[in-house]
Amino acid sequence: MILNGVITGLIMGGILSLPVLGVAVIYGITGIPNFAIGVIGVFGGFLTWYFLSYNLGMAILIGIGSCFAIGYILQPILLTPISERGGDSTLFFIITVSLGFIFEGLTRAIFPRPSISLALPRMGRLSIAGVTAEGFKFFALLFALGTLVIIRMLEEHTEAGKSWLATSQNLKLAKLIGINTNHVFSIASGMGCALGCVGAIFWGSLYNLNLMSGWDLGFLGFIIAVVGGIGNIWGGMISALIIGMVMSFSGYLLGGMWQSVILYAIVILVLIIAPRGILGSERSL
Amino acid sequence: MKDRYEKIGTLLILLLPLTFVIKGGYLQWITGYVYLFLIQGYVAWFLFFKSGQPFFGYSVTMALGAYGTIVLTEMFHWPLLPSMFFSAVLASVIGMAVFLSTSRARGFYVSMASFLLAILFPKLIEALQPITGGRSGLYFGGLQVMIGPKPLFLAIISLTVVIVAVFFWIMGTKTGKILTLISENDELTQAVGINTFKYKTLAYGIAGFLSGFGGALYVNYTGFVSSVDIEVFTTLYIVFIPLIGGSRVFYGPILGALFVILVPELFVSVERYLRIFFGLIFILVMVLLPDGLAPNIEKLLRRIYSLLKPSEQEKAIVRE
Repeated sequence: MILNGVITGLIMGGILSLPVLGVAVIYGITGIPNFAIGVIGVFGGFLTWYFLSYNLGMAILIGIGSCFAIGYILQPILLTPISERGGDSTLFFIITVSLGFIFEGLTRAIFPRPSISLALPRMGRLSIAGVTAEGFKFFALLFALGTLVIIRMLEEHTEAGKSWLATSQNLKLAKLIGINTNHVFSIASGMGCALGCVGAIFWGSLYNLNLMSGWDLGFLGFIIAVVGGIGNIWGGMISALIIGMVMSFSGYLLGGMWQSVILYAIVILVLIIAPRGILGSERSL
Repeated sequence: MKDRYEKIGTLLILLLPLTFVIKGGYLQWITGYVYLFLIQGYVAWFLFFKSGQPFFGYSVTMALGAYGTIVLTEMFHWPLLPSMFFSAVLASVIGMAVFLSTSRARGFYVSMASFLLAILFPKLIEALQPITGGRSGLYFGGLQVMIGPKPLFLAIISLTVVIVAVFFWIMGTKTGKILTLISENDELTQAVGINTFKYKTLAYGIAGFLSGFGGALYVNYTGFVSSVDIEVFTTLYIVFIPLIGGSRVFYGPILGALFVILVPELFVSVERYLRIFFGLIFILVMVLLPDGLAPNIEKLLRRIYSLLKPSEQEKAIVRE
């Protein structure tokens, strides 16, 4: 039972780490806490579901691409101007929650069903250390870990990645050396929303997606990022895996009703005891 | 002086619904409902905007008042009024505890802790289903049965006016002025030797008590409370009440409450699109009208008045 709980927790944490990475990328580079990425991601998940009957690859591309475009466009027309006018985190919280209302409303208005399940290929069953689970679940975990490694490698080994790092570390200096910081912000915002969509697609194929899933994914993504140290990508990943375990074991031991209660109680405690997260924040809220 | 007139005007506006108490029906019911959220809106106005405390747990303090009243009267057989009072005290204590426990953190982390509490609380209510009824909720006769709907409506209006008057009074006292100072510059207030910690704790205590009392009134009026009523969106809508209406003027939350509560009632046929509409309006107000609706409506009315008012030249022609 313990091993089963560990593996379920790791998979759950792996999927959750995708919106967490989204939050970390956006916050790490733009300094803006975006609470709408879960809802935007679920909007992309619904788009993927809608086109799934045509072609699997095209459907996933449409979902992720749309979310990237939404994030890319929202940044220069709404979020960057507010940031330049001196908007604080509380204002961004309110603005991005309002954005979440719009995308939740759009999902409700456009799609015929309020709850969906994405039928993706299950990839058979795998057995690890005596625990058997769907290959797709292991793929989800590996995908999350791979995404983290790719983002880190991009940051360290490509020109674009270095410009992200420079922008996140010193905005004025980055502008002075000729980096188009507005473009970097837009890319970060697009990537964050796209990661939210990937998380939603995995979530929707393992469990199900409904109109409220976006809020759960977004809020969970944000609080896990806070627990790990907001803006800290490694911290976010470790925190997601720990939180996944907590959810898995509290679900097993106390039942589904108490799962969220225990989770949020732990997160509140972390906020009280170590407000900068377990690995420390690279930025300050 | 302008402030004084504005305060008196606001209280008089709040008394207006007493004129249609005899009519009863849906209009009366929805007015009472707006007033119950107006209480919460003024609590947010006082704590969030006037005292500068980034608290997002209004649905929790409200729920403590509501559930506390039911649990104490129905399960422990306390008399109703002491139950309502004790529940409000409990909400006050929890409000202060949130502040004290997050006092090591700063700014947005405090917002987050209280916001997470607002997410956690309905889940806790659902987990404690045998006591709280979870999503199915709890029914409660309370004052509705004891005194009847019309006297209860009168009581809700009167108590709202009293609560709002208390907030106005506090903001005029030395404590209120210090809270305004804290909201404008916390560090500077501390630097001039004021014990800001004490005043902030007091602000949380007052806000928690009145929010809890508002919650107790809510459950007496609606006769029902469930985890759905106190979900996290309730706290967001409560913060939006002064934000949309205008937090800098005394009557701002009235406009905000009318908007936040009445718009969904009026557009129930297009409920499907309501979230899009709300989201757009919230963003537009935040970006284009950061002071909220009230000051801008005031400006517009002044402009219309100055256009309609005859100029000196026109007056001279009329006199001739």
